[in-house]
Amino acid sequence: MTSRLLQNFKDGRALVITARGGRETTLETTLAKLGVSCEYPEIVGGRAQIDIGSLQAERDILFVDGDLEGAVAIDVNPVSRLPPVPVIGLVGVEAPSRLKALVDFGATSFLRKPVHGGAVYTSLFMGINQFLLRNNVYARLQDLEGRRRGRRAVIRAVIFLMKQDGLDEEGAYSQLRRASMRARQNLELYCEGFLSRRVDSPDIPGRANSITLRGGTKQAM
Amino acid sequence: MFSTTGPYSVVARSMLNGAMLAFRENAEAAGPVVLEPVVVNPSGDLGRYRALSLELLGAGIRQVVGCYTSSSRKEVIPCFEKFDGLLWYPSHYEGFESSDNVIYTGASPNQHVLPLVDYLASRVGDRAFCVGSNYIWAWENNRIFREALTARGGSVIAERYLSVGDTEFDQVISAILDQRPDFVFNNLIGTSAYAFFRAFRAACKVRGIDQANDIPVASCTLSEPELAEIGGGAIDGHLSSSVYFSSLNSPPNAAFIEAYAKAFPDGPVSSADAEASYIAVKLLAASLEQAGTDDARPVRAAVANQRLLAPQGEVRIDPQTYHAWLTPRIGRSAANGQFEVLLEARSPVAPDPYLVQSSPRFAVTMRSPVLRVVQS
Repeated sequence: MTSRLLQNFKDGRALVITARGGRETTLETTLAKLGVSCEYPEIVGGRAQIDIGSLQAERDILFVDGDLEGAVAIDVNPVSRLPPVPVIGLVGVEAPSRLKALVDFGATSFLRKPVHGGAVYTSLFMGINQFLLRNNVYARLQDLEGRRRGRRAVIRAVIFLMKQDGLDEEGAYSQLRRASMRARQNLELYCEGFLSRRVDSPDIPGRANSITLRGGTKQAM
Repeated sequence: MFSTTGPYSVVARSMLNGAMLAFRENAEAAGPVVLEPVVVNPSGDLGRYRALSLELLGAGIRQVVGCYTSSSRKEVIPCFEKFDGLLWYPSHYEGFESSDNVIYTGASPNQHVLPLVDYLASRVGDRAFCVGSNYIWAWENNRIFREALTARGGSVIAERYLSVGDTEFDQVISAILDQRPDFVFNNLIGTSAYAFFRAFRAACKVRGIDQANDIPVASCTLSEPELAEIGGGAIDGHLSSSVYFSSLNSPPNAAFIEAYAKAFPDGPVSSADAEASYIAVKLLAASLEQAGTDDARPVRAAVANQRLLAPQGEVRIDPQTYHAWLTPRIGRSAANGQFEVLLEARSPVAPDPYLVQSSPRFAVTMRSPVLRVVQS
């Protein structure tokens, strides 16, 4: 699992949540040079009219003005603290409370207001790629957590084979590892399946010593 | 503002000549706009670029034609942004920039390095050895080159960087000859480049290698005045990707070459960057006339409407990026100090400074093979 570096933002869509004051031109024209279109969701009753659920991480980028308190409600993933799409904070008042709100949205990059054209590419590049990187790290973490939980099944399967076939620990582990590779599954998942098949089998108690993968008649696993 | 002394002075002097020719023609035309050039020389010293820019802008000069290296351009841009001046940057560069206070009349990366990759990969080979001067031009141009070549199945064997002005190439040349690439991609500038061409040709000759045919050197910078600097015996057989060669066979170029030679009999001869400087002043004059002021914003707005039949062909400025539409070409140097044009685009190509239209969405990654065979 590797994180790829996004370097071409063509066909991207920026949703800029800010009070329109006529000073957004620089951001919009610079984004256009980078192949990114700009939209400004209407703000009604202090809340941006935006359907967060319809956003697409491959296309959309949210630019959120940190000076607009509560203008957007983003459900960040409670574990990863990541929003559904990259968020870039527009920083006006450089106060800890405003910055904290942007961090809570999962902003991965910032742009000072008024926006300077020369800062947009860097901000976009960092914002999107940090978002991808953090998603990648989170996915890897989830995978490793799953495998950590699955280690119990590996230990149980190793003990099972040691008892059943009289193998030593290393031999039992190697056998399971080879079998998992043949099955194109990770070891933890394979061992869970291996054990559940043994538990489900009515023959298990009486055949505990008859299962062998070495020599003689090999049984499918 | 050209460094007419220092390590890349040969090209810079040709750029100054190109700009001055356009000033002369403007004066001879006796149009409504009278241009009075003020010439400054930063001598290749980055600090001087900034100081001179502030001096010019402080004196009320809001239109400056100049800079050759990207490091000097990046050094002065904050000055032009702060005082709202316009820098007319007349040289090819590595892209990924678009300041509102710069008009880019030289080639963007999609107009020089990408056509060169296409040519090299299809006609020369796919194993490259990259050398360059140690600053942003070579770093970024090599990155673009590497990604484009890798995407085509090729590979970059090595990248070597030397300080601007460095002329000690023994180790680099030994490495190249050990590796025997299909070609060398050169991003050295100025005196470093000239010394490299000479030393590489000589080292190949000692080993019985026909350098021009067996390990050609390809560049996006090499121009006619630099061939003269390289000197006898090592001039021919080098590939160059450029939007202009002085050998172009067209009436506008013939007129340009004749006028240039007459105005500057002592040289250096014209180059792509000289032509870009000539274009910059021509467009500046036309934009000033249309804008009716030298304020940066109206002039910038006016330049988007200009079209010019330049020595290289039609040139215009893209109103979104303020980079130029130019005609990419591939040339091969000959012993007479000229380039033979091998390939050229049928028409001017739109600038794509961020490679939005010309690069994959994700960066091409070069990883170690997933499967490793280990002998035990």
